[in-house]
Amino acid sequence: MVPGSKTSDFVSNLFRATDQVGKKRGGFEEFHWLSKYNSGSAQPHDEKEEIGSESLLLDSPELAVPRQSIAKGATPIAARESVIRYQMAMKEDDYTITEVIRVFVGTWNVNGQAPGASLADWLASDVEPPDIYAIGFQELDLSKEAFLFNDTPREDEWRFAVTNSLHPKAKYRRIALVRLVGMMLLVFVREPYAPFVQSVATETVGTGIMGKLGNKGGVCVRLDLHRTSICFVNSHLAAHVEEYDRRNQDFHDICSRASFTFHTTPPSPSRSIKDHDQVYWLGDLNYRITDLDPRLVKELVDAENYKPILECDQLKIQHRMKNIFVGFKEGEINFRPTYKYDTGTDNWDSSEKNRAPAWCDRILWKGDQIKQQHYRSHPQLCISDHKPVSAVFLSEIRVVDEVKYRKIHEEVMKKLDKLENEFLPQVMVDNTEVIFDVLRFLEPQSKELIIANTGQVPVQFEFIKKLDDTSYCKDWLHIEPFTGFIKPGEKCDIKLEVYVDKKSACKLNSGQDKLYDILVLHLEGGKDIFITVTGTYERSCFGSSIETLVYVTVPIREVPIGKLMELENSKDTPQSQPYAIPKEIWFLVDHLYRYGLKQQHLFEHPGLHHEVIQIRNWLDNGSSDPLPGSVHSVAEALLLLLESTAEPIIPYNLHNVCLGASSNYLQCKQIVMQLSEHTKNVFLYLCAFLQELLSHSADNELDAKTIATLFGAIFLRDPPRSRSDMAARSRANQQTLDRKKANFVYHFLVNDQSELIGCS
Amino acid sequence: MAREYDHLFKLLIIGDSGVGKSSLLLRFADNTFSGNYITTIGVDFKIRTVEIDGDKVKLQIWDTAGQERFRTITSTYYRGTHGVIVVYDVTSGESFANVKRWLHEIDQNLRVVSRILVGNKNDAPDQKVVLTEDAQRFADQMGIQLFETSAKDNINVEEMFMAITRLVLRTKKELKERPTDTVIIRPRQKPKKSKCC
Repeated sequence: MVPGSKTSDFVSNLFRATDQVGKKRGGFEEFHWLSKYNSGSAQPHDEKEEIGSESLLLDSPELAVPRQSIAKGATPIAARESVIRYQMAMKEDDYTITEVIRVFVGTWNVNGQAPGASLADWLASDVEPPDIYAIGFQELDLSKEAFLFNDTPREDEWRFAVTNSLHPKAKYRRIALVRLVGMMLLVFVREPYAPFVQSVATETVGTGIMGKLGNKGGVCVRLDLHRTSICFVNSHLAAHVEEYDRRNQDFHDICSRASFTFHTTPPSPSRSIKDHDQVYWLGDLNYRITDLDPRLVKELVDAENYKPILECDQLKIQHRMKNIFVGFKEGEINFRPTYKYDTGTDNWDSSEKNRAPAWCDRILWKGDQIKQQHYRSHPQLCISDHKPVSAVFLSEIRVVDEVKYRKIHEEVMKKLDKLENEFLPQVMVDNTEVIFDVLRFLEPQSKELIIANTGQVPVQFEFIKKLDDTSYCKDWLHIEPFTGFIKPGEKCDIKLEVYVDKKSACKLNSGQDKLYDILVLHLEGGKDIFITVTGTYERSCFGSSIETLVYVTVPIREVPIGKLMELENSKDTPQSQPYAIPKEIWFLVDHLYRYGLKQQHLFEHPGLHHEVIQIRNWLDNGSSDPLPGSVHSVAEALLLLLESTAEPIIPYNLHNVCLGASSNYLQCKQIVMQLSEHTKNVFLYLCAFLQELLSHSADNELDAKTIATLFGAIFLRDPPRSRSDMAARSRANQQTLDRKKANFVYHFLVNDQSELIGCS
Repeated sequence: MAREYDHLFKLLIIGDSGVGKSSLLLRFADNTFSGNYITTIGVDFKIRTVEIDGDKVKLQIWDTAGQERFRTITSTYYRGTHGVIVVYDVTSGESFANVKRWLHEIDQNLRVVSRILVGNKNDAPDQKVVLTEDAQRFADQMGIQLFETSAKDNINVEEMFMAITRLVLRTKKELKERPTDTVIIRPRQKPKKSKCC
């Protein structure tokens, strides 16, 4: 079996490319840090030597091809099946052995006669029984019915006669019978070979009247015996001495028009006569003797001097001129011409035409490793005006060695698997454990990560969510870019930024969260790599709850972490005496009271980031120096402190109640009275301060509504909501809510609260 | 054109860190071995196509990180798994003692699955601490097939992977034969109280 040239090209390109890629893949210079991996999976080539199985290296014709074409193609494995078939075909010699079989080919133009006696003289005249019989007839039936309706009782008669005359020393199974009008071809194989016969197909080609009808033409049978494809053609070519051109034409028509189709699913491509390892062509080819006087021919025949006659044989002449049967061979003819006799005799035609005798009935073959053992006629059979002819061949066929086949098939599969594995996306990450130093509130830190594409295909990577997480990383971490595309041999820098802000600080302070995350770097169609990110968080008063801060009487940095976590998480009141409000709030408010009452745009102008950091350090570490930073920075620090607590001043569980009561001062007051002691203190303390601030509105130009809106958003921070909740909230709705929050605070800015303070 | 495969199975290799999960995979899929130890940090897979009784089976074999800290994440990769290969190191008693935990993990994540127990690094008799008899007794108790392999010397690796593939194939065929409305739950092996863990 020879695969098509396209398959061959494709496969050789594929293998060549991968070999090249493997050899050239030196690109590691750019990635020195990768060297430690080199002894690993990245270099399978040294190992290949170790395996040492030469047959593993699949040979491929030399054909230059750029590796890109493979790299760009979605998958080179798409044609895996055809690659396997091609590889197996290439290696056929490695797993097949040859076996010689005996092929009997017979042909007889029976001139419309019914079989009279046994055909054993023709079909079973040898000592050794053949392994295959291919027996062809012409002019099986000359009636009009046979011609018009392709229906004849002769078929059964002759089939029966043939079946009964096969070699008695062996059992045969009929593989095929094909007939077109008078041309019939029967193929039998010996029983033991029957299970190894596959893909049997027949074909008929009519070249008679109008060049189409079946009075002339050919009938064919093809089959695979073990791994060898064999085709038998029985033809009856155009008659009449001078018509050798027509005969040539008939031969070519049969060759070009015979097409074997296979009814398999999925369908396999059709085959023509030439696509076979062995072709045996038999039949009444009708080539005659020209340029010789019939009387002379008969004399030479009687003297068994065939050579001069064969010089004038049209078939020999046309064959020599390569007009027909190119690539075919014919054995030496040592028998009397087979045509034309008086029916029932061995006498030459005695009719008026007095035809010159001719070797009309011939057998030719094509294919290597075929030896003809006999080529003869059987003059004993004389019911027809032709004599039957037969040839016996000793032909080599290829037989699969099952053990070797399986071994080689497995090797091919392994090689393809290996190839497929090599085409999986591969990357190297320079660091899978990213460790940050000490991280502080509001101070971002970043580290770089390098993802290098060390594979042979482009890589699409993405950091993906794990377990039930809502995001691919914790909220204090930011990955840029979190998804991307890397070509083979190229790399991508990833920036990991850790930033603890007002949202994430409280969870880290309480120990509910840690500066620890495992990122899952996913390669599309490939593996996942885990990247661990760790760091130490330095706790701060920012993110601490009011309940904790009131019990912290020293700077927070001096309190052991364990103690802080205990305070954050304990429900019981600690033994020590708490402050009424957190000292940090007092420091900030006191500073603003002293220096900021007359400051315009207080709480409206942003502070400076570095000053806020300085204020944070001053509060966390304690200092005898004055509080650093401008009043705007101090004001921002105060807002941040209030915003970074786990629960806002008005806890989430009272949020909706407050909004509902916002138009009613009395109800608002009642709610405030329900607050825990320290929270209430902070609330009233801040309101008192804000009232003081507003009493200087002539200088600072602040008004109660602005302040109420600002602090409304802080005191009544929105509870964390799911995304769908957020979407459900329209902007108008949010404005209403904001107004309600402002209303709530507004009451406490314009009314005297001494009675509330008195209660505490 | 014939189909590329008749069955596609997902196999998972689990076990303590350093027992040779990746080496087993590398030996089976690429027929290579590297003495240099590289911890698997993540999950990786390779494919291999085998033929079992005329059936073409494509295996997608997942190799997981064995480290403790990744355990919750790796458990998410159990989904869709047909067969699990639990690996321990015959030179490490601890890795063998942990097999129970790994089996428990399978039970928690998968309902119908084939399992196989593998003692790897079976190539240095003087360093071997997990005796074959002990491992065999444990495997019998749990109703699992035991294989002792060496990815380094290529001992029993092919056989082990073929065995688990056969198990998976058999399970699939059994499931197919039964009526569709019944649910098959692998009979839970009730291990007798053992002293080791």
